[in-house]
Amino acid sequence: MSRNRWLLYPLSLVLWFGALPPEALARIKLTTLPVRERVEIQLDHPQIALVEEERIVPLVKGVNQLDFSWANTRIDPDTLVLRILAPPPDQPLEANVLSVSYPPGETALVWAVSANASGAARVRISYVLGGLGKTFHYRALAGRDEKTLELTQWLRVNNNANEAYDSAQVWAGVGERFEKPLGLSETKEVRLGHFPSVPVRKTYTCDPVEFGYLDGARDKLKVPMHYVVKNAGGSLGKEPLPEGKARIFQDDGKGGGAFLGEDRGAFTAPDDELKLYLGLARDIAVRRTMDRSERQRIAGNLYRYDVTLKYEIENFKDAPVTLDIAESVRQIRDAIRGGDNSGLDPEWRLGDGTLHNPDPEKSDADKLLFHVDLPPRTPDGSAQKQVHTLRLTLNNEW
Amino acid sequence: MLRNRFCFFLLLCGVLPPLSAIARNVDLATVPSRNTVQLTIYNSEDLTLVRETRAVSFKQGVNPLQFSWANTLIDPTSVELQFRQPKAGLELLDATYPHDKPQTLYWNVQSDANREATIEISYFTSGISWKADYLAIADPDEKALRLESFVRVNNRSGEDYENAQVRLVVGTINLVEKIAELAKLPVGQVKDGLKREDLQEIRQKAARMMMAPAAPSLAGAAADAAAEMEAPKEIIKEGLSEYFIYTIEGRETVPNGWAKRLRSFEATDVPMRVQYRYRPRQYGEELARLYLLRNDTASKLGLTPLPDGALRVFRANGRDGLSYLGVQPLSYVPIGDKIELNLGSDPAVVFELRTQKVYRDNLWFQIRGGNVYRKLGDDGLKLELDSQVAGWDEHTVYQQQIRNYTRKPISVQIRRDYAGDVVFRSKLNPILHDFETVQFETEVPASGKVGLDYVVIARQGYNQKQSRVELQAGETGR
Repeated sequence: MSRNRWLLYPLSLVLWFGALPPEALARIKLTTLPVRERVEIQLDHPQIALVEEERIVPLVKGVNQLDFSWANTRIDPDTLVLRILAPPPDQPLEANVLSVSYPPGETALVWAVSANASGAARVRISYVLGGLGKTFHYRALAGRDEKTLELTQWLRVNNNANEAYDSAQVWAGVGERFEKPLGLSETKEVRLGHFPSVPVRKTYTCDPVEFGYLDGARDKLKVPMHYVVKNAGGSLGKEPLPEGKARIFQDDGKGGGAFLGEDRGAFTAPDDELKLYLGLARDIAVRRTMDRSERQRIAGNLYRYDVTLKYEIENFKDAPVTLDIAESVRQIRDAIRGGDNSGLDPEWRLGDGTLHNPDPEKSDADKLLFHVDLPPRTPDGSAQKQVHTLRLTLNNEW
Repeated sequence: MLRNRFCFFLLLCGVLPPLSAIARNVDLATVPSRNTVQLTIYNSEDLTLVRETRAVSFKQGVNPLQFSWANTLIDPTSVELQFRQPKAGLELLDATYPHDKPQTLYWNVQSDANREATIEISYFTSGISWKADYLAIADPDEKALRLESFVRVNNRSGEDYENAQVRLVVGTINLVEKIAELAKLPVGQVKDGLKREDLQEIRQKAARMMMAPAAPSLAGAAADAAAEMEAPKEIIKEGLSEYFIYTIEGRETVPNGWAKRLRSFEATDVPMRVQYRYRPRQYGEELARLYLLRNDTASKLGLTPLPDGALRVFRANGRDGLSYLGVQPLSYVPIGDKIELNLGSDPAVVFELRTQKVYRDNLWFQIRGGNVYRKLGDDGLKLELDSQVAGWDEHTVYQQQIRNYTRKPISVQIRRDYAGDVVFRSKLNPILHDFETVQFETEVPASGKVGLDYVVIARQGYNQKQSRVELQAGETGR
């Protein structure tokens, strides 16, 4: 037990606690040092580490004092809980915590515990400990066809709590519990989850609001790529995926993995999608222009706007892809009106452009998302240009 | 014993002169020790009333007594002497605060005979405080919890109190000055709109309301100590006027600098339920998870109000272990009132509001005159009214989506505030929490999800006639 700062002293003296000041006891105490029988570290709380240690404490009949101290560590003393666990049936020892005393100027306390007989009691001491933290990270290995990936979830426990644990059962709130020693100032990394053959969708997305332009003068949008993993089905979907950095590799076909990049994965609830950014696709070109913007006065200062956005898309890849086109109606309205002067939410209707069936799951009153299938480049190497239009009518604007 | 800062002297002068004549370098004094000490500690103010009794032998005639309190935090204006036994035959003639001896006073006591008497000295001191705190451990299935209440006495008064009866007062009192400040001043420098006597009277009066005779349970303390196994000390709770007094069974020693924590009560199998609430005014922009219980006898509580204090919440994990759920300040809970423990958001429950559609209708215009136009070479006239939108109804269609990834069905209550003249139309059977707040509830099955549809119609501008929310049952519209 390293250079231990925790001391648990049962004072084997039968005393009426109130009869003698505790500071006087400290000088004549006879102590035994009950070792930790078992330690559990609960890391299920987002910010807080709860440590529980189990010890077997010899008690004498009458009132006992347990002296607990924690110099140089960051135990929150207000969270300390001493629980006396149920004794085995053949050793019915009944014990109660009578009071807790806090000596001045010390990181220590004294529990007064009464027992109806002499014997050993199994106790659990729980406390919130600062300096003990956790992070998650992921390794994703995509297949050659980028249809599935092998996702591995790792937990890192960082022990800066200035205390060592010979063996501790750790629970991070997700995954299985595991038992490991945790040394002083040590970082322990453990594989928590392994999810083979997870279906993955590689997306190509253009979104002028979120991702912007690659070349504004030529109206060329950025087309970032993502791996999208749905936290559902198979071995996934039973628990949330905590946030953490993900390193992404692709099977290079030679038994190794080519590093594709890394991204910070957000907390992903079951049924939600984990999106990992891979970089910009340079083989898909999207030019976005506003083809028409007409204003029609209905009455007084009430207007209707008709807008047409045109997308000229080329896929220079030798494989077909699906392009996601995202738009914000508010951003379009503000662009044609030179800003939002009314404070109104846009009221809109889709016209008869080629983009008229937004994805109902991923679209709402402001955001529109369309999927467009792009064929591969032709055998002679040229890309087939596709032109799509989005027609919007903005009603009741003033 | 104690690093005593109190000195109490019976001055043994051969011929007893009045105290004003005591100005000598050679004195003989006896030091009567404390027989009993009672501390009454207030948690709303830095105030403790100390009552101590001492046995003193008086001679017939005038007896000088010296009482000093160096290096303590006693309010000198509050020191009071009373005769407990016998009550007759003894008279306090005067009290003198000498200018050359800080934190000291002299009493002249007239006795009509040689006798032993029990006197009581009472005073206010600062530096002793108490506060409550609570520990709640919920069962793994979160149907019941164990609630423990503690009181922690903290002694920073500069004085050790041995074998003291400790009484703790729950409730607020009014003080016109801080005891800690008064403790630094000689009596003659106490300045205020009130006279010193008035101050003393106010404080003594306030204190006596709580002071009543000592709790009857004290007599049993010795017997309890001899019992086979000592039980945790009982804390007797008594209501008095607007206050509640906790009397800790038996005697306690609280040395200076120490704190001591005792269990006030423990209740097991307290029924509780879990509710998720969205109340942005109260809990911010998150779906908060709450434990709900009541401080009543049906819930195995309700014997006492719960004083202000921090409440730490754990949940048993079914393997002797705990999960830490959080800490929250508990405000005073009267008997019968509800207890609501906010545990914050739950990552296993996803709460999303989706705006599905916005449209406007019922448009009204304000006419501000007109303009007449004529094209050159054309006799026709064109009239254009100068009108502006003055009123409209804004329809916003929402879907409240809730996904529950816990293993239990959950109950969710949602409150949303709408300023102005608003119609809330849905099939959710909502109620109005107040004139501008709509409340509705739903259950979400384990590992299930719900979508709650509603439309908010905000009457704007000229159309706004009221400031209220009107509930309508119906479809959410186009």
